[in-house]
Amino acid sequence: METAELKQQLKKQIIEFLNLISVKPEDIKDDEPLFGEGLGLDSIDSIELIVLLGREYGIEIKDPKEGRKVLTDINTMVAYIEEHRTK
Amino acid sequence: MYIHKIYCISPQQDPLQADIECINEPVDKKLLAVEPSYEHIPPGVLRRMGKSIRMGVGTALPLLDKINPVDGIIIGSANAGLDECVKFLIQIVDYDEGQLTPGNFVQSTGNVIAGQLGLISKNKGYNITHMHQGLAFENAVIDAIMQLNTNPAHSYLLGGVDEISPFHYNIETLNGAYKKEDISNKEIYQSNTPGCLPGEGAAMFVVSADKDAAIAKIKAIQTIHTDDVELVKQQLQLFLEKNNQDSDEIDLFISGENGDTRTLPFYEACETLLNTDTTVLRFKHLCGEYATASAIGLWYACQILQTQEIPPHLFKKNQQKKRTGIF
Repeated sequence: METAELKQQLKKQIIEFLNLISVKPEDIKDDEPLFGEGLGLDSIDSIELIVLLGREYGIEIKDPKEGRKVLTDINTMVAYIEEHRTK
Repeated sequence: MYIHKIYCISPQQDPLQADIECINEPVDKKLLAVEPSYEHIPPGVLRRMGKSIRMGVGTALPLLDKINPVDGIIIGSANAGLDECVKFLIQIVDYDEGQLTPGNFVQSTGNVIAGQLGLISKNKGYNITHMHQGLAFENAVIDAIMQLNTNPAHSYLLGGVDEISPFHYNIETLNGAYKKEDISNKEIYQSNTPGCLPGEGAAMFVVSADKDAAIAKIKAIQTIHTDDVELVKQQLQLFLEKNNQDSDEIDLFISGENGDTRTLPFYEACETLLNTDTTVLRFKHLCGEYATASAIGLWYACQILQTQEIPPHLFKKNQQKKRTGIF
């Protein structure tokens, strides 16, 4: 899967997993922070995103520090998925 | 106990719609609540809420005054976060107790509505949820009366909330609770089959012992759990006598009749105790049947007292007379 296609798929999955009712994939910028500013996600969302990576891409993140780096924005998530996905 | 503020979410855009031709009808045999945009709930919190939680919190927040905060929150809900609980349990099975998301879990408890209200409004007072199935709201009312007896200077948020969750709907369908045939809520009282139309909604009240500027007073409440029609009749007679209420003083009787031929004898038995001049209303064609529908029944009573207007389609027996307003 091309990177651009994966980004689009991931945005759709984030919206569905986190029930972001009023957000569309095009509203999520690739380099916009997912937490705090930008999309405004919180700590419960970070657990939801880690579960998303596990269920959809077979990626297991055990180290919280690593998780924080991976979940910075769409670009970092997609880079990590491309490198570590098992499905 | 006096009622000072009221608010509700029901299957009708206007909960007390005057024109029967304008009332919302069942969708897929269910009377589903018309939800507002929930402007009072922070978006980040709203997206994690299940329907009953949204309805409960969304109904309560407009009543909560920051200047005069209530001293406690008392909610009645037969199911509360049950649907979220079922979703979480399904996750446990589907993912073999592995990768579970916390969203459903944190919303899955019975006290989730009262808890969320406490958190959002920063209310650290008495916070309780009554979950006694069909008597959940009634027990919440009794609790509020007891709290006000102990703390007469306090005020409380009191409410009843329930949704049609897929799990609960399936169980109650198997239990024979609902009509098997397609039927409009406009014709529900002419039905001669067992079962009712499922509904959902939320009704909230701010109550206190202060009678100044109150909308209504709850003078007494009594519950009974029986399948004996005569016992219901006897208990209502005793209830009226105990509370010094002569049946011919009652202007209006709001019946919980729901189109189910199995429960109709109970309501009809109660009506035989009333004076022939008493007006009888029915409301469940508007909201459907659910465990805490009595909360919205109380909302209708308060609204009618406030506006002194009754939509014609609510009348079962119209004996309107201008008297004191004892329901």
